[in-house]
Amino acid sequence: MVYITSWDDFVEKSVQLFRADPEKTRYGMKYRHCDGKLVLKVTDDRECIKFKTDQAQDAKKMEKLNNIFFTLMARGPEADISEVSGKDQVEAQPAKKGRGRKQ
Amino acid sequence: MVRLQQDPFLNELTNMFERTTDKGSVWVTLKHSSDKSKVQRNKMKTYGEKIEYKCLVRATDGKKTISTVME
Repeated sequence: MVYITSWDDFVEKSVQLFRADPEKTRYGMKYRHCDGKLVLKVTDDRECIKFKTDQAQDAKKMEKLNNIFFTLMARGPEADISEVSGKDQVEAQPAKKGRGRKQ
Repeated sequence: MVRLQQDPFLNELTNMFERTTDKGSVWVTLKHSSDKSKVQRNKMKTYGEKIEYKCLVRATDGKKTISTVME
């Protein structure tokens, strides 16, 4: 099981995995209040990435990732999640809504 | 595996978290699903019908499992 230490890397890799195989990819969370530990797992049954934490501050990040996955899974892998995460996505739709491109 | 509507699901999920404060784990899984069997999906594909996908959410405390769909 690969534990990823960087949150942003974990998010990016998760979205990539999902978009590559939306039929098989699933996102799981395991929470143990007695240990104060949260583990997130994204897998397509071929590759698996995990993220673990015991920090309360990571709860907000997890919530954002949950929203990203809700959007992707309910609307489809092509769904635009830039409003959800508030970040520029690498695969941004070309010239959408006249957004200026960073040179 | 119990399929619930969204509000009862949330209620039961909250109960699960409350029950496992001193001991135990809660697992929550999200999956992109059409909620149809492979046979049904293949049939829909051959007829050219569009398959609608939803987000399937499952939660378990190791003993009981509940689920719901989000569209």
